[in-house]
Amino acid sequence: RRCPRGLRLPRGARASWAGVTAFPPRRYLLYASGDFVKVHSVNTEETLGLLCGHADLVTGIQLNPHNHMQLYSSSLDGTIKLWDFMDGIPIKTFTVGSKLLALYTLASVEDSVFVVIPKMGERDTFQLVSVKLTKGAGQDLEGKELSVVLDGVGASPKQIAFGREDSYVVSVKDVNLQVYFFKQKLLNRFSLSTAKTKGGDNRFSCVVCHPKEDCIATGHADGKIRLWRNFHHKKAYTYSALHWHHDIVMDLAYSLEGTRLLSGGVESVLVQWHNESSCQKDFLPRLGSPIECISMSSDGVLCCTLHTDNRITIINSNLRFSRSIQGLIKSRDVKTGLVVDPRTKALVLNGEPGHLQFYSLQSDQQLFSLDIVQRQYIHQAGLKQSDLVKVAFSARGTWLATVEESEEVADPELQLKLWFYSEETQSFALNTRINTPHDNHITDMCFRDMDELGDDSLILVTTGRDCVFKVWVMVGDSDPEAHQSVSWSCDFVGSYHNYQATNCCFSEDGSLLAVSFEETVTVWDSLTWDLKCTFCHPPGNIRNICFGRLTCSKYLIGATDYGFLCCWNLLTCALEWSAHLNVVVLQPDPLSEHIAAVSWLSKESSLFVFKPSEPWPVYIQRNLCKEKILLAAFVPRDEPEMISSEKYLWLRKSQLFFLTDTQELMTLSTKSLEERLTPSSKQLAVEESLPVTPFSVLLGKHRRQQAQEDTDLGKPVVHNRQEQASPAVKELLHTPAHVLPSASFLCTIFINSLLISKENKSAEEVADEVEMESEKAEDESDEEDVTAMEQEDTSPMELLGEMTCKLSKSQEKELRKIRKMDYSWLSAF
Amino acid sequence: MAASPCAFSPRGCRLFASAGPDGRLRVWDTAGSRLQHEYVPSAHLSAACTCLAWAPAGARQPPSKDGPQRKKRKSEVGGEVDTQLDILAIGTAVGSILLYSTVKGELQSKLDGGHDSRVNCVRWHQESCCLYSCSDDKHIVEWNTQTCKVKCKWKGDNSSVTCLCISPDGKMLLSAGRTIKLWDLETKEVYRHFTGHATSVSSLMFTTVKPTNESKPFDGITGLYFLSGAIHDRLLSVWQIRSDRKEKNAVMSFTVTDEPTFVDLTVSEVKEEPVKLAVVCRDGQLHLFEHILNGYCKKPLTSNCTVQIATPGDGDSTPKPVPILAAAFCTDKQSLLLVYGNSLQPIIEKVSLNTSESHICLVRDIQKVLSLKTDAAVTKVKTPVVNSDAKVLVPGIPGHSTAVKTPALGKEKKKNKRKPGETEESIEERLGALDIDVSKVKTPGGLPQTDSFAVLLVQGLESNDAEILNKVLNTRKENIVKNTVARMPIHAVIPLLHELTKRLQGNPYSASLMVRWLKSVFTVHASYLSTLPDLIPQLGMLYQLMESRVKTLQKLSRLHGRLFILVTQVAASQTVQDVPEVNQTAKLVYEDESSEEEGSDDEMIADKDSDENWDEDEEKEEQSDEQDMTVEKEINGDSDLEPENESEEE
Repeated sequence: RRCPRGLRLPRGARASWAGVTAFPPRRYLLYASGDFVKVHSVNTEETLGLLCGHADLVTGIQLNPHNHMQLYSSSLDGTIKLWDFMDGIPIKTFTVGSKLLALYTLASVEDSVFVVIPKMGERDTFQLVSVKLTKGAGQDLEGKELSVVLDGVGASPKQIAFGREDSYVVSVKDVNLQVYFFKQKLLNRFSLSTAKTKGGDNRFSCVVCHPKEDCIATGHADGKIRLWRNFHHKKAYTYSALHWHHDIVMDLAYSLEGTRLLSGGVESVLVQWHNESSCQKDFLPRLGSPIECISMSSDGVLCCTLHTDNRITIINSNLRFSRSIQGLIKSRDVKTGLVVDPRTKALVLNGEPGHLQFYSLQSDQQLFSLDIVQRQYIHQAGLKQSDLVKVAFSARGTWLATVEESEEVADPELQLKLWFYSEETQSFALNTRINTPHDNHITDMCFRDMDELGDDSLILVTTGRDCVFKVWVMVGDSDPEAHQSVSWSCDFVGSYHNYQATNCCFSEDGSLLAVSFEETVTVWDSLTWDLKCTFCHPPGNIRNICFGRLTCSKYLIGATDYGFLCCWNLLTCALEWSAHLNVVVLQPDPLSEHIAAVSWLSKESSLFVFKPSEPWPVYIQRNLCKEKILLAAFVPRDEPEMISSEKYLWLRKSQLFFLTDTQELMTLSTKSLEERLTPSSKQLAVEESLPVTPFSVLLGKHRRQQAQEDTDLGKPVVHNRQEQASPAVKELLHTPAHVLPSASFLCTIFINSLLISKENKSAEEVADEVEMESEKAEDESDEEDVTAMEQEDTSPMELLGEMTCKLSKSQEKELRKIRKMDYSWLSAF
Repeated sequence: MAASPCAFSPRGCRLFASAGPDGRLRVWDTAGSRLQHEYVPSAHLSAACTCLAWAPAGARQPPSKDGPQRKKRKSEVGGEVDTQLDILAIGTAVGSILLYSTVKGELQSKLDGGHDSRVNCVRWHQESCCLYSCSDDKHIVEWNTQTCKVKCKWKGDNSSVTCLCISPDGKMLLSAGRTIKLWDLETKEVYRHFTGHATSVSSLMFTTVKPTNESKPFDGITGLYFLSGAIHDRLLSVWQIRSDRKEKNAVMSFTVTDEPTFVDLTVSEVKEEPVKLAVVCRDGQLHLFEHILNGYCKKPLTSNCTVQIATPGDGDSTPKPVPILAAAFCTDKQSLLLVYGNSLQPIIEKVSLNTSESHICLVRDIQKVLSLKTDAAVTKVKTPVVNSDAKVLVPGIPGHSTAVKTPALGKEKKKNKRKPGETEESIEERLGALDIDVSKVKTPGGLPQTDSFAVLLVQGLESNDAEILNKVLNTRKENIVKNTVARMPIHAVIPLLHELTKRLQGNPYSASLMVRWLKSVFTVHASYLSTLPDLIPQLGMLYQLMESRVKTLQKLSRLHGRLFILVTQVAASQTVQDVPEVNQTAKLVYEDESSEEEGSDDEMIADKDSDENWDEDEEKEEQSDEQDMTVEKEINGDSDLEPENESEEE
């Protein structure tokens, strides 16, 4: 069963601009995430499916306007794929050839889609082309029939929009707006002045078209929204401006009827404009991070916003926060490193500014984010924000130490906070706050990790660039006014020749503390705080240090800037071995002797796993990934995994996770991709069979009739007309209430009309018919369809008393039955 | 009213489903104790939910003989068996069974037509997609969940059937009304009878997957133990399935404090491994048992550990018990997931308990937990508690820093530094300890003289009397301070310095008074201080305090300078405004020929204007810099005692 070890999928989605989202009628949310398209249930936030098949970033997804169970997706790999997204099956693949940057589908054009491709021979110019989707038998088809619609368009999908009834297309780029009318084959260009006056910036950022009127809304870099009308005329066009955003408008969206316009930007506030007036507007503030994309559901009930921190928020039509789908939050910079919370076994790292995110690796979702800084985040360029830089947990997770600092380089405002996990309230509570614990940036922080000893052995060490390290201990509070029994205070300050302290680390039994000062590693006795010995391996500063564990606890490992990995023996105080390796990350496994070292050399990261007692590695994985790995963490497994292969034995007790500089979280796994995919992503096998309630039968019929009328009006509605409405029910519905006889009188007729004749349909088939959307049902009940339609034709005639002779036997039976019904109440009028 | 049915999702207990008395089904996330979603069945008012069962998760098909065959069949159907794990079977009071998909958040199917009375228990088969249900109508029904049809229906008992359990190998079924019956699932015939419960059985569970004695070949069922609990019964019975049909009594029993409402156990796979049992009772207690099943035991076993939860009961209110609703073992078989509180809004917590204690009481403040939780319900942002009683350390406060110890300074050993602020007992304390009624030193009335000030000060320092010290130290007169310091005995210098240090840390206003005292102490007693051997530890605190205060001096003086400039400028501009404007029209205007160009461009003028403004600003800044300099000088002049201090200490 063992499959070749490969890299796991990036968790929490690559937070690339994840493209368009769409809601098919049954409330699924689709979004592009890296090379995949994910299908989510809106009700439960769970992933229902994963469409994989593209070889590169998916740039656009659009529902097939002619079949709502199908989806088109375009990718940088030059293909357009048509999916059945409920089953996760690719139906067709159209190869276009060049990179596809955006995708648009139109309801009125059946056999082609529109894509944005780079112009041949020119850099950074793009054109909108329509691709004819050939109808072939096979799965892989060519989509080479291109015809250019517009030249010089923007590369972003937000910069093109199609207007009312697909009669025109609008493209914006820089300060130019182009409108192309399909029928008239007319191209109108408008441009705004390029001058940047008083903070004004006329460059376009996005465009949308009003769904019912000839109106274009454009967003601008200075936060203005302009509404263009009368753009059929080159000269007499008009525009009005709405201005609330103080910075660039990232995206706009119209509601289904066009009465509301939604806009969002870096302020992380969703603004809803009513009737295009600037005084009537609603806000949904504090969405956490800048809004990148807004999308409305096809029924207009929900809208969702995509944020820069890798999150989708689902919002009700009345601007109420409904749900959010969140992977790993992308923060600007993961300064805290990857830390494992011993209590929840969650991975802890920087989240939103000032927050710590707790990310559950088992369920692959965010548990919660802890607001440490507790300051309102204000988005403004140049404003100095406070953010978390260091985090440490005590061995059992009862204490949490956090360091926050403002972004100022020269004179950082530092705060060290110690939080106690109160089981009583199930939350962290602040115990001690220390202002300016160091005079310069704090470089490292660690707790003495001792499980078995009591809380009084707890020691926290911080190292700073102010050339000292400080030891903090818990003391009983002598002040009688204090409410808490313990607080933290400084116990010892150490320095070494006025070098900057860079790293610190406790040995496994807590008796020794290693602190690195630039080129030197110093080892201190943690009881008396005496300097025991020093090690150095010039030239080059020490980058990482760690102690060996279990049987290798007599070794100290260090990595230097000049690409040396050294192992010192603490008993002999001598260098045991050293290796030439440019180590970026050094991470010991808390449950075994193994230490993982990730090296970075000539644009590839390699992984080496070794025991300090042996100079040769246990496991080598060259070319782990192309990105630079910044951080790594061993996460203990709940139960040791059964691994038979000797090579991977080191993965038995814990799992290794990496974070790259593009903030993708990766892990090494022994299982193949299919096994790893969460089972919930697989399809559910149980067939749906829901009994039909009388109400839904009634309503279903009514709806179908309406839809039929709609088709007569020319709207394409895909469904089948199935059973005829019973004349009794029809009468019941159409007769005004005040002339109806009493309910008890109608009851028998109503019940009779609902009884299903045995030879006609079984209960299951009825259920099938209710499933209007399902194509299968359509196929299966095709035959019945025919009879049903015929019946429909006859029944009104029957009511009028005009008998036709050309009836099949079954229809005659039906008629006879109807005739037996009591219509005496009808004679009343 | 029976306890509301609830169930943990299999494999890791990621979700917890509970059906409330209001007929709603709620699914909770156990990790964050967060409401995942809520489902209201259309008939929730008429047909209350009576039982719940999660479809078996990841019931990976063992590579059995009929593997490929089965696979083929499945591919025809278009799915795999182990994909139904997210389905929750819900039995209702009217006899229908709902299959609810927790992933999609919608009803998957409705199984109708099997029962015409209350469904008492539903159980999934581990491997095939069969569902078994039993009801008050005395029947047991086997369902095919793929087609949603009844596969088989047979009469299970003469009274209502209340509980079901499928054997570990999936070939047998236990059913229970009053008596427990073991059915062969292929033939649907009774294989064994077990009698012993007086009331109807409410829970059935297999505790072992393999027989404990491996002497005989294992036929899949013989030798296994199972557990049963009944309503209104404080005993849980353990039964063994034996090859001989004689023995029909329970093998052993566990006793608990009340009727069991929720039972979870870790199945022992190895002979030596004890079965761990967690039983939640109606009275809200949790009992943990640990026992190696091996034959008979006459006496009912009592629990190894009882867990209770109570509110803290601050102040006057007495602690109230919080009922535990459910408990489950985590995958590591050590820690427990506890569900407690209100069934409509339970709190789910993972605890690892020390089971060696026989009674554990966990203190939980339910109100606070819930109020903290509601904030995080949607946004997932938790705000940790920040109370005013959190200790704040700023530079200068004891405990913020200690003297820097460089390894070059030699290795002095200190005995214990964990308790700062260890001071010698004052005379007052000593006297208090002697329990002698001491009349306080009477303060002489009238204006104090400086010689009496010195006496007072010494007395105050010795008795640690704040009143006297306040009186003495709050003097403003410079020469009184000087004289007092000069006349005070030399042994009081160090206590005075400590007292001054303490006061310096407090109110900045009093600090300014203390600085005078400090200054005179250092000027008068410098020679004495320099003779002290332990000067550095004695005055370390004071030194750090000064260091940190002086460090911010530059910034402060700069700010002071800027503010000063600003204020004076504002004042100046006001006085300028008050002066009547001078007529500034030119007396003579000479027009140059080239002036036309400039006049035409408005913007240029504007630019020029702004440029001029800038110039002014710069001038101002220059001025302010100058001011800064002077201010700094002033401050330096004021604070000339600091260099002194430092020199003293060195």
